[in-house]
Amino acid sequence: MTASATGTLEPEIARLIIESLHLEITEDEIDPEAPLFGEGLGLDSIDALELALSISRNYGLELKSDDERNHRIFASLRDLARHIEEFRTK
Amino acid sequence: MCDPLIPLIGRAPHDVVFRRPGGSTTAAAFLADAQHLAAGLPDASHVVNLCQDRYCFAVAFAAALLRGQVSLLSSDRSTERLRGMAGAYPGLYALADEPGFEASLPVHPVAADASARPRFAPDNLSIRATQLAAIVFTSGSTGEPVAHRKLWGALAARSRDAGRRFRMSAGQPVSIVGTVPAQHMYGFETTVLLPLHAPASSWCGPAFFPRDVRAALEMLPERRVLVTTPLQIRALLQAESELPALDRVISATAPLYAELAAEAERRWQTEVHEIFGATEVGSIASRRTIASEVWTTYPRVRLHASRTRTGEEDVLVAGPFSELYPLSDLVERLDGTRFRLLGRRTDVVKLGGRRTSLAALNHILTSVEGVSDGIFVAPDDLDERPTARLLAFVVAPELSAEAVMAALRGRVDPVFLPRRVVRVDVLPRNPTGKLPEQALAVLRARVGEG
Repeated sequence: MTASATGTLEPEIARLIIESLHLEITEDEIDPEAPLFGEGLGLDSIDALELALSISRNYGLELKSDDERNHRIFASLRDLARHIEEFRTK
Repeated sequence: MCDPLIPLIGRAPHDVVFRRPGGSTTAAAFLADAQHLAAGLPDASHVVNLCQDRYCFAVAFAAALLRGQVSLLSSDRSTERLRGMAGAYPGLYALADEPGFEASLPVHPVAADASARPRFAPDNLSIRATQLAAIVFTSGSTGEPVAHRKLWGALAARSRDAGRRFRMSAGQPVSIVGTVPAQHMYGFETTVLLPLHAPASSWCGPAFFPRDVRAALEMLPERRVLVTTPLQIRALLQAESELPALDRVISATAPLYAELAAEAERRWQTEVHEIFGATEVGSIASRRTIASEVWTTYPRVRLHASRTRTGEEDVLVAGPFSELYPLSDLVERLDGTRFRLLGRRTDVVKLGGRRTSLAALNHILTSVEGVSDGIFVAPDDLDERPTARLLAFVVAPELSAEAVMAALRGRVDPVFLPRRVVRVDVLPRNPTGKLPEQALAVLRARVGEG
């Protein structure tokens, strides 16, 4: 994938996060480099579960945990967009 | 109270007790890990177990128990909470498995690296039944954490009884995949203590996203048992992928609606059982959700009725090595081993001489088409103010408040109809799907009902 493609997916994923989690913010309020969970956007593990379902519906990609300590595989919007781009099947 | 010695592990040395992505751990190997860690622990009376990996958690708990130290279990690991605990338990230190974890109290590292450990033949040590093994915290109704004391004898006996209830037999031990954190009472009992005293092994790898759960189940031998929550069952059903043969699904932490249980049974060709428990008393009863409204207590757990001075019936729970404990939920006791759940005690509302539970109202609310989540809230002065009425928060993007109200009319006794229906984008649920009192208070304050 090219760098410009990464640029196009970030706003799309930002919209998906806002819509599937019903957040009261706009896309440009999500700092692509800031943590999505805990501090930063303040999402929790139930949000992660919900978001994983939306991502799987939209991109045919099922998220998984790296290890039991950390099911927050997506540190930031940028990481998440990159990950989806690499492994999406639709 | 008699005080016998109860072994740390009630399994044969070669029995598999935990399974990890790297392989299986036998009772003997687990004991060796626990004894090795125990030998190096600092002297203290209390330790907070912050381990995130289930195996590390189990080893840390066992090591503390062997040293006579009380394990504090708290899902809240914020700096503020740790400081609060350190203040309440002088000399407190933490056991943590994240490299470089820093906190305001001394941290002792836990590593589940078997290769670095000297091999020796461990003794299956015994612990006094009355030894205080753990203190589990819940957020009280005021938001202040409440401590619940757990004696070793009661924990061990309850685990053995749970194994019998769920028909675990030594001839064909079950493989448990648990999606609930070990620091939560339900997760602690079913995924850490159960394999120590019932023919079961517990999965200690990732088990959070539907894909994790499926991968874990595929890796494990039959008879597989999934220990989870209504929320995760819903997510797994929505993920629409096949699961390997499941012997049983066990759910707890929030009410499991019969429709969801029925769909899970159909899709996975299995039985879905619910555990009834509370942090105060632990797991005490179960039922197959689609088969009956009646809960049956675990073997050796009995319900006693006692009249309070005001003439109300209190139901007391009795079990091995535990004192009589009043149940905080409103139940209809059928006999010493069977009961019907009417609602959480804090959940019961009385209006116009009628009684219902908020849980029952919430069920009606969330089954309205177009309502994806919702909750009824009682004002604090409900009992004193005759004109007081309930309030409802709903997540219903496509419906107006009037439409929700219209749907409730006819399904809800008019006296329990909400005075206001407030539409919100999302309810502030915590990781177990519950709505903490504090979060609710914030929500209420926002709409001027605080």
